Amino acid sequence: MDVQNKYYRTLVKFGIGAMIYACIANFIPPIYISAKYGTFPGLSGIFKLWGLVAATYGISWIVQPTAYFPTVGVAGSYVGWLAGSVGDIRMTSANMALKSAEYEADTHEGKVIANLATCTSVFVSVAAIMLFTLIGGRVVPLLPQAVLDAFNYILPALFGSIYIDLLLKNPRGGLLTIACIAVILLFSGNILELNSGLVTILAVALGILANRVIFVYDKNKSSVKID
Amino acid sequence: MSSELEQIVNSPGLWLASALMVIAVAAMAVIFFNTGLKEAKRIQIPKERYGAGIRSAAISAIGPSISPVIILLSMVALVGAPTTWMRLSDVGAGRTEIAVISMAANAVGAEAGTASFGIEAFTSSLWAMALNNFGWLFVVLALTHRMDKGVELLYSKFDSKWIKMLLAGSTLGLFGYLLTSQLISRTSSNVNYQKIVAVLAAAVVTLIITKAFPNNKRLKEVSLGISMIVGMAVAQILFK
Repeated sequence: MDVQNKYYRTLVKFGIGAMIYACIANFIPPIYISAKYGTFPGLSGIFKLWGLVAATYGISWIVQPTAYFPTVGVAGSYVGWLAGSVGDIRMTSANMALKSAEYEADTHEGKVIANLATCTSVFVSVAAIMLFTLIGGRVVPLLPQAVLDAFNYILPALFGSIYIDLLLKNPRGGLLTIACIAVILLFSGNILELNSGLVTILAVALGILANRVIFVYDKNKSSVKID
Repeated sequence: MSSELEQIVNSPGLWLASALMVIAVAAMAVIFFNTGLKEAKRIQIPKERYGAGIRSAAISAIGPSISPVIILLSMVALVGAPTTWMRLSDVGAGRTEIAVISMAANAVGAEAGTASFGIEAFTSSLWAMALNNFGWLFVVLALTHRMDKGVELLYSKFDSKWIKMLLAGSTLGLFGYLLTSQLISRTSSNVNYQKIVAVLAAAVVTLIITKAFPNNKRLKEVSLGISMIVGMAVAQILFK
């Protein structure tokens, strides 16, 4: 157990170091441009901008890393949030890697595989973004319109495939969760006017609640049988 | 964008300044990957099993990495290549960054994508993107190691079977939200039928691969890629 803990401690140590470096690197371009061209917006300008982004995304800053943590764990949180696209690239790759390597997510082996998968997905996406930034402007216009239109369906198809995998493992929980979330989403726009960060945490709470209902139901059923 | 601003937003200095963040992302992935690989060997995960996991992760990441290419090109037109490269390689997704650029430009009386977007609006956008990303980075920095202790505490205090189900429930909730938010527009409650077809086609292919070829490991590794391509193709052909 101690050696296992050493692995997590190493991840946390590197994770904290890298996040501190990233927090600094994050501000270098605006500092560089402000200094070079004398366009620093002033502290009041910075506060105004911070207010704007905090009002729009502030809830997501706190809610998303917290809501995703039970699924992505330590490695997935550090690497995933720094590289972004946690839901559509990192979690998807981790899930597929666990399926191929045949380990469960909540075992130590599963967490190691999920870490390797998250990092691998970063190599792929960073390379893809670099490639598209450099040559995308020349290549994309050459693609047929039908292929460009089909890009709209990448994410729905991806999540359809992943969800059916989860549903096969836990049919009752999967069906109950998706039904509850669909109802919330259908009504949240007009009636609840919920922020997307809040809808995320609500969806996670619904998933947990659905599994709690099943857990209690099964427990009661087995105790009735014993009686 | 004026040609003068175009030179500034694509200048070598800005490429260098932007590279610092991309280096952080890549270096962190390399360090975590090496640490994971060492641990995999130490706990004797067979090479073929972690190899299959890594291959599958790489293949599965290709599709969703390609999907933001259109938004990437729009962002290059708005703020230039180095900033797009940096901001799409780090924290926020393309649509978030474009929304932030637009808000920041409005804050200084300009509009993104028009002649009014000058050096002042560009600087304002850079600050706004940095401030927004800092929110996520700071929360992850402050909370991740604490949350890990929280999960350990849950395991020690409650029935471990229930905690496993709780964690599985949170995964279902997350993917359930990501799936349904693709299909139902949160602001208008409109249902997108083309996307439903893409979801169903991909789900059926995954189901067939999982049930009909349960022991074909190679097929399992590429199953997400195949399902995605079939889902996209069916939706595109039916609704073209």
